[in-house]
Amino acid sequence: MSLTTDQAALDQWYVLGAVSHFPFGTPVETGLLGEPVTVTRRDDGVTVIGAGRSLPVRTTYNHVWTSFGTPARDIFALPEATEPDRRWLYCGGVRVAASGLRLIENFLDLAHFPYVHTDILGSEEKPEVAKYEVEQRRDVDEIWATKCEFFQPKAAAASDGGQISQYMYRVVSPFNVMLYKTPPTAPNRWDVIALFVQPVDETHSIAHPFMLVIDPTSTDAEIIAFQQMIFLQDKIVLENQRPALLPLQPGRETPTRADLSSVLYRRWLKEKALTFGTEPRTDGVAAGA
Amino acid sequence: MSSDWTPIALSRDVPDGVTRAVCLEGSELVIWRGAGEAHVWEDRCPHRGMRLSLGFVRDGALNCLYHGWQYGASSSCVRIPAHPDLTVPPTIKANAYPTCEAGGLIWVGKEGAGALPALPATTTPVLSLAVATDGIEAQGLMRDLDGGRLHVFWHRVRPGKVMLHGVIEGSADVSRVAALMRQIRTQYEEGVAA
Repeated sequence: MSLTTDQAALDQWYVLGAVSHFPFGTPVETGLLGEPVTVTRRDDGVTVIGAGRSLPVRTTYNHVWTSFGTPARDIFALPEATEPDRRWLYCGGVRVAASGLRLIENFLDLAHFPYVHTDILGSEEKPEVAKYEVEQRRDVDEIWATKCEFFQPKAAAASDGGQISQYMYRVVSPFNVMLYKTPPTAPNRWDVIALFVQPVDETHSIAHPFMLVIDPTSTDAEIIAFQQMIFLQDKIVLENQRPALLPLQPGRETPTRADLSSVLYRRWLKEKALTFGTEPRTDGVAAGA
Repeated sequence: MSSDWTPIALSRDVPDGVTRAVCLEGSELVIWRGAGEAHVWEDRCPHRGMRLSLGFVRDGALNCLYHGWQYGASSSCVRIPAHPDLTVPPTIKANAYPTCEAGGLIWVGKEGAGALPALPATTTPVLSLAVATDGIEAQGLMRDLDGGRLHVFWHRVRPGKVMLHGVIEGSADVSRVAALMRQIRTQYEEGVAA
């Protein structure tokens, strides 16, 4: 395993974990894009070493971000991070034996709720995915899915009954995504749940869920346990998709109307000519073509 | 013995309503049984590549764990729960292989496979047993027993690993025959022809 040569993958910011999860003074070995990296947290900041050099570091949103390349943009804006009544929760890293792109696509998916998160995020009695809207916002280079609705028996840790949840999804870079969801306790606002994916290599990833939620009643442990339960259910599916790499070649998989966000996400990856974590194509079409 | 057909499991080990993952020459297959009939398909839902062996059998159909897509005995998708009113296009189907059952075994065939070879009409299943070898030449190794005969069939899981499937024709003590199959395994793993 060695550092990818995929320039589109190199020129991105990646999360290696929540800052608070790194011990002071003890270097932590991890991996990114096929290459070992070492993270060291000290009183005066965080350093990341990889491929024999010091890599750029940001600690935006209390996470350690780095890059091997030259990202075209700074880390995305998250206005909710300035709202004082939000709780910031770091759910820890979950290792998944799958392409990080598969993790993002699963995060964008509503249709699996009744089957993978049965009687929690969805019910077999109400599996329908209503029409929603997707768009590529070219000014910020993001993918959005809006007007998503789904019936959820237990939408969050603070739920005491079913609700029709409203969702918006926002893909800010190939390996970073978030959703906005109506909280049970504040129907006029949006909880933010982000999934920062650290692609260790093409078929191994570490998912770092991060939440900015409005929930004055649940304990941190309750909210984190809820999120971890959901993510471990997803892990079972993610590690049993074949191939582990995301196929971009038409005909390899079968999207329906419920998969519009996935269709747009894949088109966006192709436009970027990103190949890291994708299945090699056999139809002679080059990445980005 | 015709090489058009390969035995991949004992019929007994795939009861009604059950899925079973099997690896044949490195390919992942799912065996499932609904309404009494066994089916062998590629272990992959055409929607998102999910392994169908993690799915569930309901109403004689196989349902994918990921999104509940339902496949009937013909392997066509008959229901997409996210779109309850959709008539599913017939082009959406799982990849099914020719399947038959005979001699207490489930067999998968090549496309256009001929007839199965003659097998004992009535058998008693013994067990399936993994063997670390490549070196089994012929299907249908036989050992005469008191009151019956052991037939050993096999499929290759991947290079270096074979799965034996033993059935008894006639009557014999199954636990003693299982011990005999373990002896056969030892002989193969030590490189001695049985």
